[in-house]
Amino acid sequence: MTSNLAYDVQKIRADFPILSREVYGKPLVFLDSAASAQKPRQVISAMVDVMENDYANVHRGAHYLSQVATDHFESAREKVARFINATEDEVIFTRGGTESMNLVASCFGQAHLKGGDQVVTSVMEHHANIVPWQMLEGSKGIEVLFVPVDERGVLDMAAFEALLGPKVKLVSLAHVSNVLGTVNPVEDIIALAHSKGIPVMLDGCQGITHGSVDVKALDVDFYVFSGHKLYGPSGIGVLYGKKGLLNSMPPYQGGGDMIETVTLEGTTFKEAPHRFEAGTPAIVEAIGLGAAIDYVSEVGMDAIAAHETLLLEQAMAKLSAIEGMQLIGTAPNKVSVLSFNVEGIHPLDIATVLDRQGVAVRVGQHCAEPLIKAMGYEATVRASFGMYNTLEEVDKLVAGVEKAKKMFGA
Amino acid sequence: MSMELYQEYADALDMLDDDMRFEYIIDLGKTANEVPFPEDFMRDENLMHGCMSRVWIIHTVNDGKHNFIGESDAVIVKGLVSMMTKSFSGLTSEELAGITLDHVRKLNLGALTTQRQVGMMAMLKHMQKLAAV
Repeated sequence: MTSNLAYDVQKIRADFPILSREVYGKPLVFLDSAASAQKPRQVISAMVDVMENDYANVHRGAHYLSQVATDHFESAREKVARFINATEDEVIFTRGGTESMNLVASCFGQAHLKGGDQVVTSVMEHHANIVPWQMLEGSKGIEVLFVPVDERGVLDMAAFEALLGPKVKLVSLAHVSNVLGTVNPVEDIIALAHSKGIPVMLDGCQGITHGSVDVKALDVDFYVFSGHKLYGPSGIGVLYGKKGLLNSMPPYQGGGDMIETVTLEGTTFKEAPHRFEAGTPAIVEAIGLGAAIDYVSEVGMDAIAAHETLLLEQAMAKLSAIEGMQLIGTAPNKVSVLSFNVEGIHPLDIATVLDRQGVAVRVGQHCAEPLIKAMGYEATVRASFGMYNTLEEVDKLVAGVEKAKKMFGA
Repeated sequence: MSMELYQEYADALDMLDDDMRFEYIIDLGKTANEVPFPEDFMRDENLMHGCMSRVWIIHTVNDGKHNFIGESDAVIVKGLVSMMTKSFSGLTSEELAGITLDHVRKLNLGALTTQRQVGMMAMLKHMQKLAAV
């Protein structure tokens, strides 16, 4: 195991005010960042600052504050674009990852899908990448195809290739599994799909937080993520789309800021991104996301990923030494999202004992019921490590699981 | 209204500190099955939806009194289900309909998270629905 001496986790922790609080009289050990990450002071301050000093509606007023707010808002878009190597007109602000995927399902669906067409997704997906397509099955008569996973939680690439028939109009897959941490071979997926002329959307809600993403190098057609998992606020998400594809799609919602002209006879729409941003956007949240991107960029996505890998390796090694431990998701390429169960103890019992020790984990099906069932379980405990977690916290997780084992006699 | 068991639980919880309440509920879960929950009844139609663990509750009526037994695959939840079903069994329709959040709160007393309290309220509503009161 290599140590990452240059990575000063204590300095990072000092930036996150919430990490110094206690729960049940014990220091908080926050291992639920895959659900929603905590926010550094830099994000909180940026949001407070804009509300205290620079707030007005954007893209509208001729007045000074509106221009300042617009500059901040559009500069957040530039930061997002730089972060993923896109251009600003390819970055759409949404309410979150779920809305980004629903936007594509709805607008790509209207423009490019008809009855009998197929969309390929997988058993591994978050419900947000299953349900919108199933809704299109109901409304448009498309068919949704699912790539299976093996017992390690790895996508069956041979099955994927076999599914790519002439009726497939879109591939929509997770970059990284929110339950298992599996990193999918997205370069191969995109190359295969493109060789048959099929565009690809990646659900990057987990992928964006655990390493650098370059949408141009990937040549991905749509990439989706949320702000709140990337140490930014909730209520803001991103849809990246290739410009030509975005402008081939109709608007998602109608309203202000997305039109060129409106007459009583009809309306013409702006191009992307504004075409897809009807109404007043989440101004403060977008600026918060910009600050979060500044923050993680300064630390470095590769440094964050290396630190998290260290935590994951230690957690997997120590947890697997516990008798009855079932590590769920053992893909060779995996990030710091760790699902597990202990034979004979319900995951909710484990999570409740951990909670009493101050250790916050998630329990249940993690919005991925088909995957949990495919892996042979009803529910799992999920510990997820972020940029601020420490090796001592890994030890507290392990000690908490051992305590649960004693309490429940398994 | 005969709610002796309810009172017993509420009094016991009242005397304990948070950590002890937590262990008390686990113990209830571990010892809940003096009346074993019949396996045939662990069917989907007896399942309560929306829980992080599975909860089954069945309902019978005897001489106009409603009786419940419950089961869960998580010990802590089984403790809560056991407390709820035993507390509120043996009541008439009118009495059962009069059970509210205030009653449930006394079986909780801060030992558990708000989410668990919401879960206990959902159990009560489910029991009231099963009894059609």
